[in-house]
Amino acid sequence: MVVVDDVHKWFGNVHAVRGVSFELPAGTVAGLLGHNGAGKSTTIRMVAGYITPDAGKVSIAGHDMTTARLAATRQMGYLPESTPLYPEMPTRDYLEFRGRLFGLSRAARRKRAEEVIERCWLKDVRDRRVGQLSKGYKQRVGLAASLLHEPRVLLLDEPTSGLDPSQVRETRDLVRELAQDRTMLISSHVLPEVEAICDRVIIFAGGKVRAAGRVQDLASSTGAAGYVAEAKLPASVSLSVLDNLRNIAGVMAINTSSLDAGWVRLDIQASRESGDLRETIARAMPASTIVRELRPKAASLESIFMRVLEQAAREEGTLAPGANSQSIADAAASNVAGGKS
Amino acid sequence: MNAVLSHWLPAWALARRELSSYFRQPAGWIIIALFLLLTGVVFAFAVLVPARPASMRAFFDASGWLLLPVAPAISMRLLAEEFRTGTVEGLMTAPVSTPALVLGKFLGSILFLLAMLIPTLVYPITLLAVSDPTPDIGPILAGYSCLLLLGILYLALGLLASSATSNATLAFIVTLFLILALLLVGTLGRQVEGTLRDIIFAMSLPPRLSDFAKGVIATNHVAWFLSLSALACAFAMIFVQWRRWR
Repeated sequence: MVVVDDVHKWFGNVHAVRGVSFELPAGTVAGLLGHNGAGKSTTIRMVAGYITPDAGKVSIAGHDMTTARLAATRQMGYLPESTPLYPEMPTRDYLEFRGRLFGLSRAARRKRAEEVIERCWLKDVRDRRVGQLSKGYKQRVGLAASLLHEPRVLLLDEPTSGLDPSQVRETRDLVRELAQDRTMLISSHVLPEVEAICDRVIIFAGGKVRAAGRVQDLASSTGAAGYVAEAKLPASVSLSVLDNLRNIAGVMAINTSSLDAGWVRLDIQASRESGDLRETIARAMPASTIVRELRPKAASLESIFMRVLEQAAREEGTLAPGANSQSIADAAASNVAGGKS
Repeated sequence: MNAVLSHWLPAWALARRELSSYFRQPAGWIIIALFLLLTGVVFAFAVLVPARPASMRAFFDASGWLLLPVAPAISMRLLAEEFRTGTVEGLMTAPVSTPALVLGKFLGSILFLLAMLIPTLVYPITLLAVSDPTPDIGPILAGYSCLLLLGILYLALGLLASSATSNATLAFIVTLFLILALLLVGTLGRQVEGTLRDIIFAMSLPPRLSDFAKGVIATNHVAWFLSLSALACAFAMIFVQWRRWR
C-alpha cells in the first residue's frame, strides 16, 4: 500500500535521508522510531508528498508520489507535526474547507464532516474557532480533517507531542481505534506509544533504516536475554554468590542495585543461546539467601531501540573513524535546515 | 471536462476560504473601513463641488494612491502566513496542484478587493442622481477598470513577494518597493538612451494611468496590466513549487 524505495534527501550538503526503503502492506500499522534529527519527519514528509525526494521513489496505493501526486494524495490522510490549523476558522468550517479541497460533493462533505466530528469527539467544539481550542482538541481536529476523505493510508507525524497526559491518552485511544481498518505510518519518539499501537516498527538513525520488523522478531534478532532477581543476601556471602552466578555458562554480566531493608536487585544479562537459566540461577543461591523474585526480562521496545542505536553508532564508527559524532551533528543540522525535519 | 473541473475546484475552495478569512479577522474590516472613510472624504469635498462640471477624477486619483499601502496589506499574508504557521503543509499534501494553490489564493485576494470597491459605487450613483448636467458615464467606467487593473497588478506583485518569504511584514515592504519601482522607473528612463530607454518606458506605470484618466480603455494597456500580473503569478508558482525541492 505504501512503498518507499531507496529514497534520499539532501539539505544543502547535509545528507539527511540516506537510501531509505520500506514497504507497508495494506492493514499494517507501522511506527517510525528514532531520535530527533534521525530523518523520521523528513521521510514522512516525503511519503506525504510535501518534500520531493532527491533520489528514489515513493508510491501510495500504486500511485507514484512524484508523477501522480494528486491521485496519490487522494488515497492518503496526513497529520503534520504540531498540527497547523487556521485559528480563525470554526471547526465545522475548517472540515468543510478540507472536504472541498479533496473535491467532495456538498452532500458527501456534510455527511463526512458529521461522521468525523462524531468519531473524533468534537461535538462540543464544532462551532468554536480552532484557535481557541486546547491542544488536545486541535490535535483531534487535525485527525478529523485527515480522515474526511476516507483515506486508505494515514500518516501521522508525532501525533501526541506537546499534549498533556490525559490528552495523550485520548489521542492514543483514537489512533488505536483508527488503526483497525487502515494502513498507518506513525512517527514518534514515545516508545510505549508505538509499542501500544503499532504492529511493526522501523528504527531510524543517521538518516538510515537500522532495523525494521515486528517487535517480537526484532527482540530475538538483536540478541541477549536477561533475568531480574531480587534476593536478600547476607553481606558475608554476597561476593561469593555473585561469583557463582558469573560462573554460570551463558551469563554475560550482572548489575546489582540495593533496595531497602537489605534486598538486592540483580540484573543478569545472558546470551540468548543459553536457554532458560532460571533453575541454574536459583541453585546458585546459598540456602541462607531468600529469593523473592526471579523472572526473565521481556525485551522491551526500549531495549531493542537502544541496542539498535548502539549498533548503528558502532557501524558508523567502523565505516569512518570518528565520523559518528559527526553524523549525529549532521542529522541535527538537517533538522535546522529542514525547518524542522 | 471532469478532470479539468476537479483540478481547478480546489482553487475555488481556497479563494472562498481566503475571502472569509479576511472577514473573520479585524484586519479585513479595518482595511475596508479606512478605504471607504478616506475615499468618502475625497468624494464629499473634492467631487461633490457645486458649480463645477461633475467628474469622478479626484476619487479615482485618491483611490489609486490609497491602493499603494492597501494592496500590499491585503496580499502580504496570502502565502507568507501559510509558510510561517505551517498550514501550507496541509495544502501541499492535499490533491491541489501548485497553480491551483497559487491562483486560488490570488482569486481570494481579488474577491476581497472587489468587496472593498463595490461599496464605492454609491459615489457615482449619488453623482448621477444629484448633478446636473449628469456626468459622462465613459470616464467613470474607464476609471473603475483602471482601478481594478491596478489593484489586480498590485495584488499579483504582493502574491509574488508573499510567496518568497514566511515574513508578512517583509512581504509588505517588498511589495511596496516593487510597486514604487513601476511608478518611478520612468524618471530613470529620461537619463538613458536606446533600447534600455524603450524597456524602461515599457515598464513605466504612470503614462498608462493618465491614458485611463482621459477616459480611454486601450487594449494594449489592459494587456500590459494583465500580462504583468500573470508573470508575477507564474513566478509565485515557481517559488511555491521550489519549496518542495529545497
